[in-house]
Amino acid sequence: FEDGARKAHAQLNGKKLQSGENSVTFYLSYVDSVKHREEALVGFPEGLTLVEDFVSLEEEALLLAAVDWTMSNEAQKALKHRRVKHYGFEFRYDNNNVDKDKPLPAGLPDECLPVLQRCLQDGLINVLPDQLTVNQYESGQGIPPHVDTHSAFEDTILSISLGAKAVMEFRHPEGRAVPVVLPERSLLVMKGESRYLWTHGITPRKFDLVPACEPDVGSNSGLTLSKRGTRTSFTFRKIRYEPCCCAFPSACDSQEGTSPYPPSPPSLPCCHADATLLEEEYVHRVYDAIASHFSRTRHTPWPHVCHFLSSLPPGSVLVDVGCGNGKYLGVNPQLITVGCDRSSALVQICAERGFQVFVSDALSVPLRTASCDACISIAVIHHFSTLERRLAAVRELVRLLKPGGQALIYVWAYEQEYNKQKSKYLKDHVKQHNGEKSKDTPEESQESHEEPSVFTTSHVERDVKDASEMTEGRLSVHTNRTAFNSQDLLVPWHLKGRKTHGEEESSGRFSSRGEPNPDFDSSMSSDTTHSPDSKPSPSDNMCQIPGGSSVPVFHRYYHVFQQGELEQLCTQVTGIKVQTSYHDQGNWCVVLQKE
Amino acid sequence: MKLLTHNMLTSHVKGVTKGYPLLIKATEVKVNEVEFNPKFVCRMIPKLEWSTLVQAADQLGHREELPGELVPDYEKNEDFLKKVHRVLLEVEVIEGCLQCPESGREFPISKGIPNMLLNEDEA
Repeated sequence: FEDGARKAHAQLNGKKLQSGENSVTFYLSYVDSVKHREEALVGFPEGLTLVEDFVSLEEEALLLAAVDWTMSNEAQKALKHRRVKHYGFEFRYDNNNVDKDKPLPAGLPDECLPVLQRCLQDGLINVLPDQLTVNQYESGQGIPPHVDTHSAFEDTILSISLGAKAVMEFRHPEGRAVPVVLPERSLLVMKGESRYLWTHGITPRKFDLVPACEPDVGSNSGLTLSKRGTRTSFTFRKIRYEPCCCAFPSACDSQEGTSPYPPSPPSLPCCHADATLLEEEYVHRVYDAIASHFSRTRHTPWPHVCHFLSSLPPGSVLVDVGCGNGKYLGVNPQLITVGCDRSSALVQICAERGFQVFVSDALSVPLRTASCDACISIAVIHHFSTLERRLAAVRELVRLLKPGGQALIYVWAYEQEYNKQKSKYLKDHVKQHNGEKSKDTPEESQESHEEPSVFTTSHVERDVKDASEMTEGRLSVHTNRTAFNSQDLLVPWHLKGRKTHGEEESSGRFSSRGEPNPDFDSSMSSDTTHSPDSKPSPSDNMCQIPGGSSVPVFHRYYHVFQQGELEQLCTQVTGIKVQTSYHDQGNWCVVLQKE
Repeated sequence: MKLLTHNMLTSHVKGVTKGYPLLIKATEVKVNEVEFNPKFVCRMIPKLEWSTLVQAADQLGHREELPGELVPDYEKNEDFLKKVHRVLLEVEVIEGCLQCPESGREFPISKGIPNMLLNEDEA
């Protein structure tokens, strides 16, 4: 025996074998004796049931065919992330929850009914699920460990595995890990502890370790490698409408056992104090953190602003309120220009460029009344979170003006598409979908370079959320490069450090730097995930990208203006006249003159 | 902070009515060389508070020969314009503070940048 083992070791150790397209190297170890240890039997987590052969071959084919992937996210595919499709209700990965008052137009596909009826009949569920998430995993793809949000879904969760088998890992908060093989056409039922407390996940791998034969209780079972195929899971859930009252408060977001991840977005402030806090967290703190990256994306002065500046008489006193990185401070050197901004970091950048600047708030600018011939405030007022504060900002600009002086104001428009022309911010989104590489990140195309269209009433697309619909008042997180669906929102900013090795800034949220790293943590899906070591602050999260590094995500608060809203705001200020009003590549703009 | 900027700045502490001009307490002052543009200087002069400029230059010890009052026909007086240019655009306060003449509140200047942010109770 010993002899044979030694021989085998000598002959096979280090040998390579071809297995399809992969070559496998044998590594053998030889030991003289093995210490014996009784292994405790590891069973399934409480509440977990696996029913094999739940779905027939015909049903499997029907279900797989029922999913129309043609509308899926091409960017996702290009980055080798698992494909995801939702039915019934959209699952949101930014807050790991569901928009319960926005059901998707299509319900669950009819093809699912027979299987669901069977679950009812078998007593696995009492109520038909109303939400379905289909995940398609190719070999090497997975999903990070997670607990399905308690407040989003009721107890029992059903998951059908189709097309291939995979190993799902369940982990208890105390550290126990239980691998569960999910054969093709099996049904996994997660209830109770397995649903509320244990996390489940699929390691992104190309091979799983599975039992070679029926596991024999108490003896060493044989293990073998199982090559992963393309597995499609159908996960059925029932939307929960009342807070969760489970027996696992430590993991429960209804019972506030865990800080909800990501932290739930703030509500619109109703008073000055709240507004100040909101703006501190979602505007000021963010700009100070992103200042240098932000400055790198703000390099081209907009033509119409330049035109305004160039048309001012030489020797005019100009103040740029909210000057940012000083983009406009040097446009017309014949002016006496001073800039101010709330962000010390940005003001610092201006000073380094040789401009005269100071740090101050736009609501209280330390310049004397009627001391300026002109003011500009470009992309500033949309950061104020109440109507009163936005009005106060306009009033402050007017206060600074000498009689006859002019102010130019730019704010981000709710209507990104105007005169049937998409703004650059939106256009790049279309490019991405068509597989074209967009030159600019969403952060860069929040700027724009094109000619403005003259203001006309007739052509604007509108899809405005009624004030009455905003009863909840919660701020939604915007998806970059898409149309706005609300006026008050948090816009993500993906912070990039200095470019290295001349790498190109690529489209979308991730830099496409080749194959995902085999290390589990870095090859996570496109979901925003939590960096376990840092305590998240409300406005920032860490976003894992393929390649191994994390990109911090910041959220800036914006109130985007509807057509006519900026003008309306200005008319509430006495002693001024609105001279022109126009749309300039995704912004509403106004020139006003003090009487 | 150049004296041109100082000429425009005022204290905006709540309740203060006589917040201008701010007193300069400088701990570091630099003199840069800036290209002289007589036309530009000419245009600046009418926009200035002359006495504030003189006072500020004095506080910094850089008044030199700047007259207490505006010289008539200064447009053609290159000598005078050069003095104004120097005081307005070349002298710079790098470190120090600006003090509200009425409330005594100090606004710091660091790396040439005045920080005029008010606290909640001062706004």
